[in-house]
Amino acid sequence: MDLDFTPEQQALLAALARMVDDNCAMPTENGVVAAVKWARGVGLECALEAGGFLDVALAEGCGALEAALLVAECGRSPLVVETAGSALIGPLLAGRSLSRPVAVARAEDLTRGVRFLDTAKTLIVLDGEDAVLLRAGDLDVIPLDGPYAWPLGRLATGPDLSSGERLAGRGAELERLWRLGLALEAGAALRAAIDFTNDYVKQRMVFGRPVGSFQAVQHRLSIDAVRAEGVRWLALKAAWSGDAADAALAALHAQRSILQVVYDCHQFNGALGMTLEHALHFWTFRLRWLVGELGGWSRQAASAAELIWPDASAA
Amino acid sequence: MDFAWDETDEAYRAELREVIADLPRDWWENYAPHGPASPQVMDNARGFNAELARRDLVVRHWPSAYGGQDADAWKQIVISEEMWSLGEPRSSLYLGANWAGPAIMKFGTEAQKQKYLRAIAEAKLLWCQGFSEPEAGTDLGNMKTRADPVPGGYVLNGSKVWTSYAARADIMFLLARIGGKGKGGVSCFLIPTDTPGIEIRPIRGVHSEWDFNEVFFSDAFVPSDALLGEEGNGWAIVQTIIHYERIGAARYEKSARGLDHLVGILKARGQWDDPVCRAECAAARSLVEAARLLTYRVIDGRAKQREPGAETYLARYAMIEADHAVANITSTWLPDLLIDGADGHARAQFNSAITAGIAAGAAEVQLNMVSGRHLGLPRGA
Ligand SMILES: Cc1cc2nc3c(=O)[nH]c(=O)nc-3n(C[C@H](O)[C@H](O)[C@H](O)COP(=O)(O)OP(=O)(O)OC[C@H]3O[C@@H](n4cnc5c(N)ncnc54)[C@H](O)[C@@H]3O)c2cc1C
Repeated sequence: MDLDFTPEQQALLAALARMVDDNCAMPTENGVVAAVKWARGVGLECALEAGGFLDVALAEGCGALEAALLVAECGRSPLVVETAGSALIGPLLAGRSLSRPVAVARAEDLTRGVRFLDTAKTLIVLDGEDAVLLRAGDLDVIPLDGPYAWPLGRLATGPDLSSGERLAGRGAELERLWRLGLALEAGAALRAAIDFTNDYVKQRMVFGRPVGSFQAVQHRLSIDAVRAEGVRWLALKAAWSGDAADAALAALHAQRSILQVVYDCHQFNGALGMTLEHALHFWTFRLRWLVGELGGWSRQAASAAELIWPDASAA
Repeated sequence: MDFAWDETDEAYRAELREVIADLPRDWWENYAPHGPASPQVMDNARGFNAELARRDLVVRHWPSAYGGQDADAWKQIVISEEMWSLGEPRSSLYLGANWAGPAIMKFGTEAQKQKYLRAIAEAKLLWCQGFSEPEAGTDLGNMKTRADPVPGGYVLNGSKVWTSYAARADIMFLLARIGGKGKGGVSCFLIPTDTPGIEIRPIRGVHSEWDFNEVFFSDAFVPSDALLGEEGNGWAIVQTIIHYERIGAARYEKSARGLDHLVGILKARGQWDDPVCRAECAAARSLVEAARLLTYRVIDGRAKQREPGAETYLARYAMIEADHAVANITSTWLPDLLIDGADGHARAQFNSAITAGIAAGAAEVQLNMVSGRHLGLPRGA
């Protein structure tokens, strides 16, 4: 066992970190940071695209783990970038790079709400036991808004999946990759929200001392950190192993942890955390969507249970 | 990055399982549920440990100069997974191998190393830990037991409490004060438990009839070479020990195998049809696996000779949560398994889970450490 990244992985991470840091400027309005629910990381997307990073999963000597590092690293940006579909799920499912951005949805969610559907060029649909790849540009998409920091859209009418490329029997593989992507995105956002909150409670003074010096605050934030680290490592392991149960556990742990962390982070940022001027919601409102994706934690739990303790193994 | 065990780990595990195969057939019924400090397990451990030693399995990861085989630190967690998951058939030999040994390796004289490290490698001693006192648990610096220097050694007076294994252990890793206040003056001693002037009284526990003891010292004389390290240097030794103690026992593995066992019973009883129960089992498993990986991260650092840091406390807290999650499955869906004699495997997991957040440092203390070392938050008032 060796839990360090290889020198190549470290170099990849360093390059990604630079790109994320160089491209994190928020949009401004009249010279001040715009109070927006979310903003797209166009600069970062362009840099990733130009550098060929989004195809890392298919590069020689690379695979899911490298793609996972990309998704996790970009996921800490306050700006929204579509990476899980483009860099991880799409290429590893289809074995080739797909037109980007890539949206991923369950068939039953297409008329309810899907991340990135408004601008997606490719739509990957989980349709029972199959996966279906669709050209998304022609679809009639209605953009959506809500307490979520993602671009969201839904189809105006029920989907016609017959025009897509049907990958028969690949639904389980799609679900595995999606769970992995979800855990990576959630893990990154959990960490970022905790880091942001941690900075805040160190400098916000109450009763003459930092908010973060109160044990009631420290312990909750520490439990949140334990959870976030757990999600991160479960996701890395799942990326490494390619195992469906590992991916289900990672997504499950993420979705079981999200609401507590989101609650704590908002709580410790006080009223300021309830404003669009304060950056916290860039991550927490992302997490609020991720907690319900793919059917929510009970669905990941049901799959994990079936994968780990298959019915055939009944005592 | 590679999460796979290497061949030497697998081979080591296989060798350990050969010895494990010879545990009494009624291990889960009549041994494990009473706990690793019970007379049943401690008496059995003498023979079991001798066989481990005969095959050179006890401390593979130690230097060969002290009875090991210069193997990497992963071997320590391999043996811990195999043993702790069974309710620790080595009994308190693990305590010597996990942290007393490393402390002696770092702070002991050459004579102490030859004497005690060899004895651990040869599985000759069962250990106990004399740290806590009635007025010094979390606040360990408040300990009062005294070691007064006299010609040729020290005279011990005071008392320890909660001292697991003491009633049947051979040797105690003791903290006593040579003057000083708070952390100053605290010193470490290695003392035989049959030293005249030491009286040991058992305390019955909710998790085990046999675990806890009180230990009283009344003018107990120990020779100078019982002192480990320098006089008054005990606190530094404790700081070293803490990392090995908190991340040493593979609690997650006991929970993982305990959970597999519970799921087998839930299926046999038809309760697996309950989707909430299934989901909670999976959620418990996710906590267990998270704890496993956070532990592996600590071991990875150890294998690379890195200074231990905040990871220890993150992993320890994760293990506490995981232990409780599995015990809660038993409590919620299989409460009858905890009745005396009903199911020793479930009972053993439950018994150690309910103490997980107190033994080896309260859960809140782990969180204090995460706050300070991982999050860098200012000390609380
Ligand atoms: C099963 C078991 C086996 C043990 N075996 C041994 C042994 O072999 N040798 C030995 O020396 N000791 C042993 N102990 C003792 C153990 O180390 C202590 O119980 C532990 O350090 C806590 O001390 P305490 O029980 O005095 O609790 P206290 O110090 O009285 O604390 C009580 C509770 O207060 C809270 N608390 C305390 N301090 C803080 C703080 N700073 N911040 C927030 N909350 C806090 C925690 O919830 C804590 O559990 C064992 C304990 C158990 C349960």
